[in-house]
Amino acid sequence: MEREDLIKKLEEISLPEIETPSHKRKLKEALLNKYFREKRSWEIFDIFRKFAPIGVITIILIILISANLIFPKYSLVKAKEIALKDPQIKEWVEKGAIIKDIEIIKNQAYVLIQPAERIEEVPTKEIPTIVEIRKEEFNGALAEVNMKEKEIAKIEKLTPIVITLTEKEEEKIKEIAEKSPEIQEVIPKEAEILQIKSPSPQFKLIRKGNSVQVLPETEDKKKASVIYKFNKKQWEGKVNLSEEKVEEVKFLGEIEE
Amino acid sequence: MNLEKEKELVEKAKKDPEAFGKLYDEYYSKIFGYILKRVANFEIAQDITSETFFKVLKNLWKFRWQNISFSSWLYRIASNEIANFFRKKKYKMISFEKISEPISSNNPLIEIVEAQEKLERHKNFLILQEKISNLPIKYQEVISLRFFEKKPIKEISEILGKREGTIKSLLHRGLEKLRDQMPPNKH
Repeated sequence: MEREDLIKKLEEISLPEIETPSHKRKLKEALLNKYFREKRSWEIFDIFRKFAPIGVITIILIILISANLIFPKYSLVKAKEIALKDPQIKEWVEKGAIIKDIEIIKNQAYVLIQPAERIEEVPTKEIPTIVEIRKEEFNGALAEVNMKEKEIAKIEKLTPIVITLTEKEEEKIKEIAEKSPEIQEVIPKEAEILQIKSPSPQFKLIRKGNSVQVLPETEDKKKASVIYKFNKKQWEGKVNLSEEKVEEVKFLGEIEE
Repeated sequence: MNLEKEKELVEKAKKDPEAFGKLYDEYYSKIFGYILKRVANFEIAQDITSETFFKVLKNLWKFRWQNISFSSWLYRIASNEIANFFRKKKYKMISFEKISEPISSNNPLIEIVEAQEKLERHKNFLILQEKISNLPIKYQEVISLRFFEKKPIKEISEILGKREGTIKSLLHRGLEKLRDQMPPNKH
């Protein structure tokens, strides 16, 4: 048979047009009887469908929050671990320095290492027994950690910031120290003030876009150390200028002849 | 029924059984006719029609008027059910007795016998249909939709979820295969 003949045959063939009223009626009845049961399922599924995007968004948010809360912490721990493996940083930490702050930008971690307490440059000739770290004049360092290679890329020592006190401020500090019962109790009356200086401020890391800046913490500005000397002994009184009180008095050591 | 009215009715049918009933009345004969012409058996056609409409009812809430019309969606469900029947060849009959709600007590036996007799009177169709049913399902579908349902290529592509070009080539190859089965012309 030719293709055209076949198409003609298909187009012209008499098709059965059979009505089935009984089946049509029965099926309609069955469908309508089932309608409300199905409608209930539609409504339930519809609720699921409406709330599914909210559910998905919630899950994504939870993942993102977890990633931001847990993973950065994990990365911070990793950065700290890598930093502490470096012999120089390890030595500083063993001598009392701490890892004060860490900032992570992409694959680079910035680790701020600082002495736990501000260590003043006390005249070493007179107090040679003062803790070893003081001799090094270590004011802090910024280490750059390559998180991908898991190694220290760079260590940069931080220069101390010197804050000069005005004469008026020095007078005020002396006054606070003299009146302090703590100082009166610990330091002999005969002791003389050797030096008054404002401690170099602690550093902090500030993230600015894709870079990190090391800035001084401003709160230390209104604090000062008063160094007392009597015979071979030296003391330190820490004065809070803004609160006008002595925060701490401690014995620094004895001068070796 | 125009397209806008049908759209409205479909949305209404999701909430109102009466609207669903109207849609059913509109499409029952078309779907049943399509299935009957595909399977050429009255009882099987009834069962596949029932299964098709139960699926329509079950999935109506999902239906959105996107790229496919309601009519095409119905034909697609019907085509899938027919394909299932041909694949399994042991179609699980829908029994009205299994539906808990009472059904009209009218005995449909006479209707079935009469309808089957009517069908058998279309001998030329049955011979041709038998040859078509020997073809792979993909060719059966396009030939039946094109020549028995008189659907345009665009609508067939919508029903079967295939590109128009694919439908054309399926139709071309299907006709070639069908021609191979036809007796040669007598000279």
